[in-house]
Amino acid sequence: MMDASPFADLRQRVPGAFSTPITTRLIRYAAFIAIIAPAVFGFYLFGFSPVRLAQGLTRLGTIVSFMFPPYVWTTWQEWKEILKALGETVAMSFLGTLLGAIVAFPLAFLGAKNIMPLGWLRLSARRGFDALRAIEQIVLALIFIRAFGLGPLPGVFAIAVSEIGTFAKLFAEAIENTSRKPVDGVLASGGSRTQTIRFAIMPQAMPVILSIMLYNFESNTRSGTILGIVGAGGIGFFLADRIAAYRWPEAWSIIFLIVFVVYCIDLSSAWLRGRIIGR
Amino acid sequence: MLELFSLKKTFGQTRAVDDVTLSIEAGQMVGIIGRSGAGKSTLLRLVNRLTDPTSGTIMFEGRDVTKLKARELRLWRASCAMVFQQFNLVERMDVLTNVLIGRIAHHGFLSSMARHFTDEEKAMAIRALERLDLVPQALQRAGTLSGGQQQRVAIAKALVQKPKIMLADEPIASLDPANATRVMDALRKINREDGITILVNLHTLDTARAYCERIIAMRDGQVRFDGTPHQLTPERIHEIYGTEGLDEDIDEAVTSTSFVSGRSANSRVYEAV
Ligand SMILES: Nc1ncnc2c1ncn2[C@@H]1O[C@H](COP(=O)(O)OP(=O)(O)O)[C@@H](O)[C@H]1O
Ligand SMILES: [Mg+2]
Repeated sequence: MMDASPFADLRQRVPGAFSTPITTRLIRYAAFIAIIAPAVFGFYLFGFSPVRLAQGLTRLGTIVSFMFPPYVWTTWQEWKEILKALGETVAMSFLGTLLGAIVAFPLAFLGAKNIMPLGWLRLSARRGFDALRAIEQIVLALIFIRAFGLGPLPGVFAIAVSEIGTFAKLFAEAIENTSRKPVDGVLASGGSRTQTIRFAIMPQAMPVILSIMLYNFESNTRSGTILGIVGAGGIGFFLADRIAAYRWPEAWSIIFLIVFVVYCIDLSSAWLRGRIIGR
Repeated sequence: MLELFSLKKTFGQTRAVDDVTLSIEAGQMVGIIGRSGAGKSTLLRLVNRLTDPTSGTIMFEGRDVTKLKARELRLWRASCAMVFQQFNLVERMDVLTNVLIGRIAHHGFLSSMARHFTDEEKAMAIRALERLDLVPQALQRAGTLSGGQQQRVAIAKALVQKPKIMLADEPIASLDPANATRVMDALRKINREDGITILVNLHTLDTARAYCERIIAMRDGQVRFDGTPHQLTPERIHEIYGTEGLDEDIDEAVTSTSFVSGRSANSRVYEAV
């Protein structure tokens, strides 16, 4: 049977090249089913049907149509309200990022291999950072609203606490990714451990740390919008309010403003980061 | 006088420095030669206590250096300045601050955190830079300088430590011949003008012959030769390093200083000996 085929000799020498073993094929089918089946079941569970999809898309079209022409507020009073809220979101993001970074900075040293030689302490610090990162900002905001009342303050704390874990982890990596050579240079001049940190490690890590802070400031401005929706201050509150009242043209204008502000922060932070890292 | 008594350092099974006993007169310029892995770097790092010996003692002017701790140890390191092959500067900081790091042993916590140095120290640093022709680069970032310039910054930093001994670990191995010559000339000048004892690790024999009044040859962590350049005859080299000689694994043209000023310097040393 085998002899009849044109590559009989090669088939015999490398059988795996011409036919896939049955077990491998079974595993592939199983994997395929394991992904597709829950997806189909999920859509069924959530009441997906082509009719609903069509209805939804029609309504979505209506909502999108309110984008044009963009709504423009006519009184200074209205503008002031909106701009103040936008400024509040940016300020919340700025304060939250700064506060988070200030708390994370000393913690980062605990998690950096070249600073903290005690393995168990370093690893538990790292696990702690991960645990902090696991809590979503909005959950923290809801908790802090209970504690501090409505307004921007719980928003600032939510951003700060959620950033502590992320910052501590990223800062620790920045500290670890420094060259050992300048440290030897400082030690050889009679420097102490703290002096090596100040003169050899920080000059290397600081630009990276600042750049991480700038990057997260931008991303916190974006996510800070959501905090307003649950009542933690900022532009999100106005957005939620207009949507709830079906004032879509105004809602769209607010969204445009948010996109514009985030874009501006993104551009300027990218420029600043380039300057800090490149120099 | 610096004295080493049966100094040993082992890393696991490796005997990096194996029972080295030496005494070095104040003001000598000593070249330590040997192939890569011979233990030259470890020997220098033992002297300034960047590495702790497994056993043995180091004495300097009658004081046991091996027992020093904390502040005393830091002051000892400051008094035997180290120059590294890779310069080991903080590339993101300016040249002047890099030189001022040489004063760090005399600073406490607060002034270091503020990176504060006195005007006297700054003046001292600028004078050191002046000796190495680097004043125009004083406020430039160290990382933007050429390798040769960076090594001279490292020497200026060593100078402001006001050291008794200078330890140079293959200071020219990363430099082109012209810069290598400049760096070796600077070391010789410091040795002669300031009377600072210099121990310099070198890869190439001809550089050691050209600049050093005394040569120590190491192999497998042990001192195999200790004498003047003219005592280190081809026969002795053959005895120590076998048929491959010393320079088998390096490109002599890159690390050698001989093509610029080596010959004249060579003869001067021979006359002096
Ligand atoms: N920190 C260290 N850990 C383990 N082994 C080391 C260490 N430093 C040096 N060694 C070993 O010690 C020996 C001597 O090294 P080194 O002093 O660097 O020699 P050289 O400077 O002459 O090239 C080598 O075998 C090297 O691998
Ligand atoms: Mg070496």
